Amino acid sequence: MYRRDTLPATNIHLMKSIRLHEISGSPPSTAIVIGSGIVGAATAYYLGKRGVAVHLLEATAPAAEASGAADGAVSVASKRPGTMMTAALRGVALYRDLARDGLLADLYKTRSTFIIAASQAECELLEKHREALLDAGVKAVALSRQALQKRFQVLSPNALMGVEVHDEGHAIGYEIVHRLVKASGAFVHRDTPVREFVEAGGRVAGVVTPKGVMTADAMVIAAGGGSANLLNLDNVLIPRKGQLLVTERAPALNRAMPGAIMSGRYLLSKGSQKGTGALPSRGLGLVIDPLRTGQFLIGGTREDFGDRQTNDIDAVRRILLAAVDLVPGLADVRLLRSFAGVRTAVIDGLPLIGRLPGRENAYVATGFEGDGICLGPLTGKTIAQMICGETPEFDLSDFDPARFMAGKVAA
Amino acid sequence: MNSFRFLSKNIPFNEGESIAAALEAAGIRQFGRDAVGHEIRYFCGIGACQCCLVRIDGVIREACVTPARAGAHIELVGADHE
Amino acid sequence: MNERDVIVIGGGPAGMAAAIEAALAGLSVDLVEQRPTLGGAIYRQQADGGTSPVQSKMARQRFARLSTALAGISANMRFSSVFLGLDADGFVLIENRQIGRIELIRSRAIIVATGAVERILPRPGSELPGVSTAGGLQVMLKETSRAPQGRVLLAGNGPLLLAVAAQLIRLGNPPAGIVEAGDPLRAAALSNVGLLSHPALLAEAAVYLKDIYRAGTPWFRGTRLTRIEKVDGALQATLCDRHDAVRTILVDRIGLHDGIQSNRIGLPAEQTRTGSAPVVVRAGDCREALGAVAAEADGRRAGLLAVSLLSGIATDISVAERAIARQRQAQALITRSFMPVAGGSHLASLPDETLLCRCEGRTVGDLRQLLDRPDPISDREIKHNGRFAMGLCQGRFCASNVAELVALLRPDASKPTPDGLTGQRWPIRPVSIGALTRAAPEDNCED
Ligand SMILES: Cc1cc2nc3c(=O)[nH]c(=O)nc-3n(C[C@H](O)[C@H](O)[C@H](O)COP(=O)(O)OP(=O)(O)OC[C@H]3O[C@@H](n4cnc5c(N)ncnc54)[C@H](O)[C@@H]3O)c2cc1C
Ligand SMILES: Cc1cc2nc3c(=O)[nH]c(=O)nc-3n(C[C@H](O)[C@H](O)[C@H](O)COP(=O)(O)OP(=O)(O)OC[C@H]3O[C@@H](n4cnc5c(N)ncnc54)[C@H](O)[C@@H]3O)c2cc1C
Ligand code: FES
Repeated sequence: MYRRDTLPATNIHLMKSIRLHEISGSPPSTAIVIGSGIVGAATAYYLGKRGVAVHLLEATAPAAEASGAADGAVSVASKRPGTMMTAALRGVALYRDLARDGLLADLYKTRSTFIIAASQAECELLEKHREALLDAGVKAVALSRQALQKRFQVLSPNALMGVEVHDEGHAIGYEIVHRLVKASGAFVHRDTPVREFVEAGGRVAGVVTPKGVMTADAMVIAAGGGSANLLNLDNVLIPRKGQLLVTERAPALNRAMPGAIMSGRYLLSKGSQKGTGALPSRGLGLVIDPLRTGQFLIGGTREDFGDRQTNDIDAVRRILLAAVDLVPGLADVRLLRSFAGVRTAVIDGLPLIGRLPGRENAYVATGFEGDGICLGPLTGKTIAQMICGETPEFDLSDFDPARFMAGKVAA
Repeated sequence: MNSFRFLSKNIPFNEGESIAAALEAAGIRQFGRDAVGHEIRYFCGIGACQCCLVRIDGVIREACVTPARAGAHIELVGADHE
Repeated sequence: MNERDVIVIGGGPAGMAAAIEAALAGLSVDLVEQRPTLGGAIYRQQADGGTSPVQSKMARQRFARLSTALAGISANMRFSSVFLGLDADGFVLIENRQIGRIELIRSRAIIVATGAVERILPRPGSELPGVSTAGGLQVMLKETSRAPQGRVLLAGNGPLLLAVAAQLIRLGNPPAGIVEAGDPLRAAALSNVGLLSHPALLAEAAVYLKDIYRAGTPWFRGTRLTRIEKVDGALQATLCDRHDAVRTILVDRIGLHDGIQSNRIGLPAEQTRTGSAPVVVRAGDCREALGAVAAEADGRRAGLLAVSLLSGIATDISVAERAIARQRQAQALITRSFMPVAGGSHLASLPDETLLCRCEGRTVGDLRQLLDRPDPISDREIKHNGRFAMGLCQGRFCASNVAELVALLRPDASKPTPDGLTGQRWPIRPVSIGALTRAAPEDNCED
């Protein structure tokens, strides 16, 4: 780790401009963004574009937590019908824009998601889910077993039917974070955990870090799992571990896959569609993503217990069994790496995005569970819009943090 | 003498010898190209560098630490991977 | 499932000695070796089971002693088996390549003795066929007792180059030259009287040098190999001496070697508390690369340590520790004698197009570009965004070079560590997905 024990000279102390922007609806001069995962990075990027001087305070290093240990499906396919599906649609559209505009051109891979049913129960679930996708305006085409065999030749005959969800994509979290942070022009303070807030008259005036107090006009808490501590939301934000696998490059098989595979069971594991029985405490939802490099990313588990950073052979074997079951050719490819990450989930299944109740200049954006790569840029953009007095392009009322917070910010 | 097949050639080997050693004796030093475009070849000899991969009866292995087996069929990883 | 007491990974001198000590104390021992034979880097046996004529008499004797001792105990040998790591549930993961599946083993202690890998500095052209490590050439000649064909050039830094040269000579193909970045004769003469207290080393060196001198093999000291190119089906090496005089030499094979480093990427951390998780001890070159004599002593130390941890019986490791300390001193003297002379830093002078990471095709220029910004990015960011230490070798060959080059390019930030770049995850080697799907606790394996 690279430690910097002195605060840079640009340390923010511009209290006088504070009132100005709230009255005029113009952007603040300075902002502190806490956490440089994808949400913090995107917020910094969109604030930077609006001329705000951003200080990104990061406990360790950019993409050190969930955003650096994620799969990276930028996808509507798996979302629960309702606000989350709508949000995901906007999230995917934004990635497409950013790719077209050049910022993410080489990092965003457009592809279809094929949701595959391998049992009668999954077929029924899938049909229901397809209807929801159609209702939301998504191009979701049902493929019979025969049609599937033709469109997706490396798929095993175990696949009974499928739904091809068009125009989705994939992005590697740490690559997106790196690109956004670089483009934001923000000053990145590594190894700078925020310990508590300095409150003054209905505002969060500053933050306390081991390197000193820092102040700014606006504050954004995008600290992923670390937000629980900062906001006293331990009972609201829950960690959910996931184990993921990366293979060596296998270009031929990779090219033969016209998109990503998601098992029908994934919908159950994620709770996107209610199945029979309760969610198991260690769910397995299979996703196989052919990456730009010719490698495959194969996931993953959802675990509510156990060590967060480790991989166990039981999970790895079960993920791979499921993968080989659908794509037998993977048996001849080698596993290169296993890793694990932690999703931060909110108990009601919706993220927390919005202004902190009773604090005029502080905002929170966290709790994206398994959707933060998809929703990160969109969230950063809407938060920046709110901070700068613009009308957010997406209605955030369902995600309002007020649903869990009384007027008090604790830290 | 025992032999295995490398692509269409018969490669003789001594009992216990690694595939890499047998190929070397037959004058074969390049086993196709890898997915990044580099020529696949023997390098470290101890299974660490992963630069000598071949496909032995369908399974990818390091040629340097895999004993040759009579009758085995050896192909390039690129053949399938490319 | 039957749990064993100790599982030893690696059948070199360290692993053999550790297995012997543990078994002599009455513990049940498994020994896992990826190759079909024991011996490791130094006592590597001929593929047909015989002993290669390139082994020195002393090496033969030491190996014979270890083999005899090992034959006298009841260790369960697992050949053609690759250790993949220790999983979160405490399973030792072994890829049994004979049956193509992963065996899950419970063991109270794990002694990891996976040896060393060679340090290889980046050089333009080192990715070409015909270029291997010098140790790689040695592996072949020990296993086959045949010298590689054609003109062979050995280049880099360190005493291994001399050993391989002498072995090539013995097998009838003297190398076209030895290119050595240091100037050991001068350094030894000037300041290394300490070597006199290690007569065995000097005797070994004298034998090599005598053979090399007799064969008339040129030894280019204070010289670096800076570039390799394919020219008319041969390899053209560019050599640069301490006065920056450049010459080229045309050969068929090049053996590179710039030192030895522990082969410890991804290994489980040492863990000497007994409890639910297995004890983990490292031994031999994978703990500290000090050569064969130290490796054997360190294996004994590790074996004895495991015995005392598992059975509570006090064991005396001081003899082994003294032997290791003596070898550490000897290695330090050798390192000093072979210190590269002049010419500035090899790494700093590499052209941008030089491959740093062959697996992912990442170059020196890529790293320079990644660091071309004011804020000091973390090890993990260098890895992720530079794609260094992410390829098939998992950083065994690039991580230390990347770490050193980062330090050179960014002198005021703290230096990354190779381990910080690579992380600590299983599998420590790429492994067949098919074999993983057949992973099973060992007792269910015999179906
Ligand atoms: C296994 C797995 C698979 C996933 N797959 C997908 C997928 O396919 N698609 C998808 O869209 N999403 C996926 N996700 C979810 C996605 O990764 C997360 O939702 C997203 O990364 C969250 O981003 P974030 O910025 O909120 O949090 P993080 O990335 O966790 O970032 C928070 C940052 O805040 C820092 N921090 C914490 N506390 C403090 C403090 N006090 N002071 C300063 N800094 C602090 C942390 O160090 C961290 O860098 C997956 C997640 C996992 C774990
Ligand atoms: C190429 C090379 C050449 C060398 N030549 C000399 C020399 O000429 N003279 C000298 O004094 N020293 C030499 N050394 C140094 C040598 O490493 C030590 O002298 C000595 O052999 C170290 O003993 P060890 O038991 O620690 O490791 P090693 O002897 O290297 O033994 C390690 C063993 O572990 C096995 N192994 C590694 N990884 C795994 C895995 N994941 N699963 C299962 N098995 C595994 C290897 O196959 C090997 O048999 C050389 C080193 C290398 C790398
Ligand atoms: S030559 Fe390095 S792994 Fe085979």
